[in-house]
Amino acid sequence: MASVAMDMLRAASDWLTLAFDAPSAKAVVFGVNIGGHLFVEGILFVVIIFLLSQKSYKPPKRPLTKKEIDELCDEWVPEPLIPKIGEEMKHEPPVLESAAGPHAIVNGKEVLNFASANYLGLLGHEKLLESCTKSLEKYGVGSCGPRGFYGTIDVHLDCEARIAKFLGTPDSILYSYGLSTMFSAIPAFCKKGDVIVADEGVHWGIQNGLQLSRSTIVYFKHNDMESLRKTLEKITQENKRAEKVRRYIVVEAVYQNSGQISPLDEIVRLKEKYRFRVLLDESNSLGVLGSSGRGLTERYKVPVEKIDIITAAMGHALATEGGFCTGSARVIDHQRLSSSGYVFSASLPPYLASAAITAIDVVEENPDLITKLKENIALLWKGLSGVQGLQIVSDPESPILFLRLKKSTGSSKDDLQLLEVIADHVLKEESVFVVTSKRSTLDKCNLPVGIRLFISAGHSESDLARAAEALKKVAASVLHDEE
Amino acid sequence: MANFFVKAVPPTDLNRNTEWFTYPGVWTTYILILFFSWLMVLSVFGCSPGMAWTVVHLSHSLITYHFFHWKKGTPFADDQGIYNRLTWWEQIDSGKQLTRNRKFLTVVPVVLYLIASHTTDYQHPMLFFNTLAVFVLVVAKFPHMHKVRIFGINADQ
Repeated sequence: MASVAMDMLRAASDWLTLAFDAPSAKAVVFGVNIGGHLFVEGILFVVIIFLLSQKSYKPPKRPLTKKEIDELCDEWVPEPLIPKIGEEMKHEPPVLESAAGPHAIVNGKEVLNFASANYLGLLGHEKLLESCTKSLEKYGVGSCGPRGFYGTIDVHLDCEARIAKFLGTPDSILYSYGLSTMFSAIPAFCKKGDVIVADEGVHWGIQNGLQLSRSTIVYFKHNDMESLRKTLEKITQENKRAEKVRRYIVVEAVYQNSGQISPLDEIVRLKEKYRFRVLLDESNSLGVLGSSGRGLTERYKVPVEKIDIITAAMGHALATEGGFCTGSARVIDHQRLSSSGYVFSASLPPYLASAAITAIDVVEENPDLITKLKENIALLWKGLSGVQGLQIVSDPESPILFLRLKKSTGSSKDDLQLLEVIADHVLKEESVFVVTSKRSTLDKCNLPVGIRLFISAGHSESDLARAAEALKKVAASVLHDEE
Repeated sequence: MANFFVKAVPPTDLNRNTEWFTYPGVWTTYILILFFSWLMVLSVFGCSPGMAWTVVHLSHSLITYHFFHWKKGTPFADDQGIYNRLTWWEQIDSGKQLTRNRKFLTVVPVVLYLIASHTTDYQHPMLFFNTLAVFVLVVAKFPHMHKVRIFGINADQ
């Protein structure tokens, strides 16, 4: 290759010396004798003139022939709008016929309800109902617009201030729906090119937010701090641009998909070491963890300022609806113009906002509710400790008690079917309403399935004993050949 | 008849990434930048005019190769990624070939090459690099090379 080039150069220089001897080479251009350049330069000028004389055109777009169109049509197989309905999908869901308190009516029968995330038993609380009624009488039901467009009512501002005061943060922002809090707040901060390190067990709202943000997403093993540390190390080491892009860690306080609790102290240590921002979802820990229900930060005694963005749904412990995001004033202000769920959807109905204010008041006035919930969790844990064929995988402090099969059948579909059978028997024979962790087809979470029990402060000791007995009995009869 | 109405010209370019090249005065600015960078190289390095032109030509080709023929897409998100597979050169003038802007951008490296080669008197090392640079740039600008990635260079993964 090199010798060919050298040969060519030599030939060119031979040819140049020949041109130098020509009689035309007398002129001087730019201080250099034109000499034998004349020929080369002449040719290049001709090329330029030729180029300039060409007419411009648009590269033609060839239309498809009829045959090609037919072929394309024949090849196309439309994807089904819904997945094929198999035998296991045909099941009759239980019908709830009353408010979903600790005792509810399902399929016309009074049952013990362990399927609602009503952690403090505030559902149907007198004070909440009273504040809802007052607010309804004053404002009506809807708020008639998005927050930025005639939808802001004084109770919204009061509620934001109340939440911020309760959690000790500078400011907070209300969303109209719990799920949309996560998938609006995440894309408001994380953009294309940013790096998000997320737990693989996050719930669907967060998964959706991660997808909408178009950031680079790296998952770490569920609630495994060693895996998180390795992931952060790898990202900071490998990626030279890591210093320049925004980096986030997204975790849930209490994982809805497993009942595990994030070790926040460790996460904060890692975040400060590798310089990441933390986005924490407190949906299932607000009003539950910590001595006064301020959530995971209080549980681990981490100053709340260390967590950059906290989101939470108010549909669980607070027994109303909607969600909020809280953090520094700049974090909140940014969302008021660039968070899609806040800007484009109608604001939270005022009566729900005033219910949230009252719920926080109730939580603050009655710390014994949280103590009662903790006692209930411990009681049910004790009651279910020896259950046959199942094991408790959730954290002993988590209000979601998660039971998993000790011996998996191998496929999560079969596991789920088996668990559905247990849940069904428990409901029909023992009048205790429990649910499996059945996920939407859109949910990409691949953690093992199980039975979820949402414990409430409203359950009495006898309720818990009855539920534990019922589950033990049914598990023993369904899973008798497992051990 | 006099023209009583302003005849609206349809927008030449809706791509924010390339639209600036249709502004008046861009060609003049381009040429002036080249000329002043030559002056600067000349005064900073104190080399011969020929060397300075070679330096300007080579850096011009490196920079334009990277920004015109290597980097794909646009820095703007609102075009929904329709330009993600196209280089800047393929985006200008909405993909029309042999337009005035394209001709200008093709002629610039050739003229730079002419000046650089002539002023270095076609001496060996400079001539080789200058020729290589102009060859790559001109080939990349051929209409036949539109959306073509020869040898898979800079192709999509």
